[in-house]
Amino acid sequence: MKKFMALASGLVLVASGTGNLATAQSGEFDGVEVNLVTFTGPQIAEPLQRRAPEFNELTGAQVNVITVPFADLFQSILTDQLTGTNSYDAFVFAPQWMVDYLSGGVLEDITDRVNNDPDLEWDDVGQFFREFSATFEGSTYTIPLDGDFHMVYYRTDVLEQLGMDPPQTWDDYLAIAEAANGQDMNGDGSGDFGSCISKVRAAQAYWWITSIAAPFIQTQGTSEGAFFDSETFEPLVNNPGFIRALEIYQATNEFGPPDEQNLDVGGTRALWQAGRCALTLDWGDIGTLAIDPEASIEAVQTGTGAIIAPGSTEVLDRETNELVPCDEQTCPYATDGVNHAPFASFGGWSGGISAAASDEVKDAAYAFFSYMSQPAQSNVDVTIGASGFNPYRTSQFENLQPWLDAGFTDEGAANYLGAIQDSLNSPNMVLDLRIPQNARYQQVILDTVLSQFLAGEFTAEEAAQEIFDQWEGVTEELGREDQLAAYLGTLGTITGGD
Amino acid sequence: MRKWFTSSSPLGLSPARKAISYCLLIFWSVIVLFPFYWLLTTAFKLPIDVSSGPKYLPFGDFQPSLNAWDEMRDFIPRPYRNTVVVGVVSSLLALFIGSFAAYALLRFKYRPRIGMVAVFILCGSLAVALVVVAGVYWWAAVLIAGVLFLAALATIGKRFKAALANDDIAFWLIAQRMLPPVAVILPIFMMFQQLGLLDTLWALITVYTATSLPLVVWFMRDYFLSIPMELEESAFIDGASRLQVVLRIVLPLSVPGLVATFLIVLTFAWNELIFAIFLTRGDSQTMPVLVVAQNATRGPQWWNISLLVLLMVAPIVIVAVVLERYIAKGILLGAVKG
Amino acid sequence: MQPRSATRDANGAAATDGIDPAGPDALTRPPRLSARLAAWLEASPRYVYLLPAIGIVLFLSIFPLIVSLYLSLASIRLVRGGFEIRFVGLDNYRKLFVGDTQRHFLGRFGDYNLLTLTILTFVLAVLIFLIARYIANNGFKLFGTSLRVLTAIIAFGLIWLVVMTYLSGGLPGTLVVTMTFVFVGVVVQFLLGLGLALLVTQNLRGKRFFRVVFLLPMMITPVGIGFLFRMMTDTLQGPIAPLWVALGLEDFSWTQTAFGARSAVIIGDTWQWTPFIFIVLLAALEGVPREPIEAALVDGANEWQAFRYVLVPYLMPVSLTVIMIRIIEGFKIIDMPQVLTRGGPGTATESVTLQAYNSWRALDLGGSSAMAYMLLFVVTFSAVVFVNFVRKRVLEHP
Repeated sequence: MKKFMALASGLVLVASGTGNLATAQSGEFDGVEVNLVTFTGPQIAEPLQRRAPEFNELTGAQVNVITVPFADLFQSILTDQLTGTNSYDAFVFAPQWMVDYLSGGVLEDITDRVNNDPDLEWDDVGQFFREFSATFEGSTYTIPLDGDFHMVYYRTDVLEQLGMDPPQTWDDYLAIAEAANGQDMNGDGSGDFGSCISKVRAAQAYWWITSIAAPFIQTQGTSEGAFFDSETFEPLVNNPGFIRALEIYQATNEFGPPDEQNLDVGGTRALWQAGRCALTLDWGDIGTLAIDPEASIEAVQTGTGAIIAPGSTEVLDRETNELVPCDEQTCPYATDGVNHAPFASFGGWSGGISAAASDEVKDAAYAFFSYMSQPAQSNVDVTIGASGFNPYRTSQFENLQPWLDAGFTDEGAANYLGAIQDSLNSPNMVLDLRIPQNARYQQVILDTVLSQFLAGEFTAEEAAQEIFDQWEGVTEELGREDQLAAYLGTLGTITGGD
Repeated sequence: MRKWFTSSSPLGLSPARKAISYCLLIFWSVIVLFPFYWLLTTAFKLPIDVSSGPKYLPFGDFQPSLNAWDEMRDFIPRPYRNTVVVGVVSSLLALFIGSFAAYALLRFKYRPRIGMVAVFILCGSLAVALVVVAGVYWWAAVLIAGVLFLAALATIGKRFKAALANDDIAFWLIAQRMLPPVAVILPIFMMFQQLGLLDTLWALITVYTATSLPLVVWFMRDYFLSIPMELEESAFIDGASRLQVVLRIVLPLSVPGLVATFLIVLTFAWNELIFAIFLTRGDSQTMPVLVVAQNATRGPQWWNISLLVLLMVAPIVIVAVVLERYIAKGILLGAVKG
Repeated sequence: MQPRSATRDANGAAATDGIDPAGPDALTRPPRLSARLAAWLEASPRYVYLLPAIGIVLFLSIFPLIVSLYLSLASIRLVRGGFEIRFVGLDNYRKLFVGDTQRHFLGRFGDYNLLTLTILTFVLAVLIFLIARYIANNGFKLFGTSLRVLTAIIAFGLIWLVVMTYLSGGLPGTLVVTMTFVFVGVVVQFLLGLGLALLVTQNLRGKRFFRVVFLLPMMITPVGIGFLFRMMTDTLQGPIAPLWVALGLEDFSWTQTAFGARSAVIIGDTWQWTPFIFIVLLAALEGVPREPIEAALVDGANEWQAFRYVLVPYLMPVSLTVIMIRIIEGFKIIDMPQVLTRGGPGTATESVTLQAYNSWRALDLGGSSAMAYMLLFVVTFSAVVFVNFVRKRVLEHP
């Protein structure tokens, strides 16, 4: 019996002890181990994993990248930190979740570190990411590693063939999708798809609806907000704008691949690279993935164009709860009569540090994030499709050389970066929802109801009502006044534009 | 023509019947083996080979590559080690504890009074609740519950004459399999959190031991039933102690049953997911969690997933081959007589 | 010396007086534990042998179960250092049955129409008949009758759920979907497993090969099988897709319709668990005594009669046991729907465990416990009904 216990304990000790084999280099963080958690890649995890050994050589710190499924990440970090398990020292996560983490005291305040770090070139980071994504009530808590905007991508060759222009409104999008659907776009003889949008549940598909609905709902600039009414905090879903957006969303089903409702972003990106889609809605990854000669067919490499998310010529009048046409009063920020409301969804993966870690681990973690974000590394990583990092620094937009090195043509780079910049600079940009327990509103309720709607279990009106009721239920539970205050707080942070 | 449908002996099979049987069996074999084949080939495909439509023949449709291995190489060692340790240790523990329990239920007579049992369960739950809900230190909770138990025992416990018998205890142990993990995961999570055992291998080991015990007790009980008591009695006559009888006679005779049971509970622990997801974070992540983590939103990497699943299933396939031999000998027959 | 019986006296005291542990008899040479440990173990084997098992099960199954009941009556929040638990009574259960989560859990109910009313009336009649028969046979016993009435009410409730959500335009919730997976799956798995076992048990060459091969699917981790079938059912990249195209079903996607998605889950589940039934029934068949069958065949009975009158009674206990095991295990299903369709499309393949798991992710811990308890209730109910009504009945009247 004793021997057995000894053997078992020995096995367990061996298993938990190894992994500490930091190479002995002279460096300020010799022997320090940082456990960093993010979601399973290769996007996001890959560049972290790739640069960890470099960082180790420079400083001696050992960075272990741990991955969990995306849908578990929010909860995993929260429970790990709040229960005092503290298996994680650092996190790469969605800044949107910052609110809930901060109320639990999870994140380390890094304002001072950032201010004293010239190498980080903090001012080079886009104002939006600096002032909105990374900070809360004046203090900085995260280092942006990635920028996130939704955009529409189109096949330039297919559109040329159809004689159509890139979509300005969602009606245009549907028209193009319909015209292109069934045509052979990759030369393999079989018909391809007009529009590929990932719609699977428990993934990141619940973001698209906001990109479609926002142009109907938000017109007066970023501080108007697109999710809740600024006075009553009622969800802005039970209105013709949102319902129209739902109808558009469902209409794209017709022009998509048969498995669309079970595809996540990886699936649609793979389809894009194989040349099977005319249009898609995605973050910035398509641009860099398209030019990859190993994964994308020729036609896609040269024929991928990007444009700011389509807008609308009809917008919601919040007083009368009806759709009205766009004019100078209703759409002050419209371009060519179209109201765009690009959605800074997700806010860009950022690095945060556990407040419960020891000081030297915190220093090492900060140094690693700073290293990852510094232009020398970051400007290269954002050009690599598999890294999952999209541009967020001004220098990344101004200096085209790394993009050309990666394989973009002059035109392609200008087009791609132009689309992102249009979004970033838009005064009517839509901000991420950063209220407490936003995960419950979006990742659970919105995601489930959307999935049921697409499956035909609800009509558009029923779906809107269902979202409304359930969101109201959560608001009642958490306290309307508190939620409203938090919501307004985030809206006032930035007025949009540069 | 008749020859096709008649057999050479009353118990033999006609050629037609043989043919049909073989057809069906081979058909099902293909259904079983084709997915394995697909796993094997996909593990060696490049991403472009996967996304451009199904490719069936290595070296024909596509060139095998070690791309998946390169991508996953750094992520695998720790979870794999964890899976092995947790699986083997918990299975051995369950086997050891369960066999002794099964033996005891067959050879000793138990008659715990219902009153005492009920009080004990209530006090125990109180202890756990104190730890979980009120955050009381575990030793204090045990103390409180213990005192309450003794007090209740003196008064209520002796009241009810009705008692449980051996078979009831056995049935109850075996019936634990009915428990959906989600029903107990939250208190277990909180319990381990208070004890500081979250994200350790011991947390998983204890939980898997607990879930494997019912199976071990069930299988081994039926197996021990087939060991004639005369063997033990003659050993007692010769002066052996109970422990010696168990270790020297009963267990060695049961080695086939022990091995088969070990392999079965090992398979369950090896492949278990739910408890692992809840109770592990970084240090003690096991392979199933790593596999399910590949369900990434930015791309199901089929080549990586195939590789991981293959690595996981390889040792267990060997288990299956060995296990088949034991099943062929009718080892577990007794266990499933019902 | 008198022969000793296997059971001990009330204290379980060992009677090893006068035995020299270091005696020359090979049987009594002490094992390599310290003598004191051995002596201690020897002194009270009945507790020492059994208590570890009981203890572990108590602490990791029973006590948490009871605490879980309390948690399901609470609203729980994560705060720094642990949990904040607020008692809310039956609120979580209320939400499940009549509140926000009712649609998700129970489903959307269709209308009463001719079909549903007919079926329900029929079921009601059968239940009333069974109770009446019990009273006629056994007289009116309060405990027995009320128990049976309660069982009948719950059974009727479950059947009502199934009928009203599947027929007449309703939509099944997670509870009904789980029951579908369990019962349909078990039937398919049993028939397949039985068929395969019967085939393999014949005197064919290569028996050993088939036995090993058929055992394999059970060995893969369930998530792995989920991914495997996701790959297989992928219409664009899956290996079976060309077959569909050849059959003209180009646009068919397993995962796009509720029926297709559920079928995919059941197919995957069947692929994985048929080996279990196969192996158990095979072991049973291998142990069938040959004489009765031979005698029957020689006497002129045909195969079918031999099967029906000799084999079936023999296999019945084993079959019922293995069916019950599969039912119990089947209710816990989560890996397959989670990976294959993530519970979609909509909530068509979401099992109760998956719903509880998603609630956990959303940090709705109280709701998660309530769902888990309801699942436990349904599982226990099914098992008890199966054991008492089906099994007893079948085994008593062969």
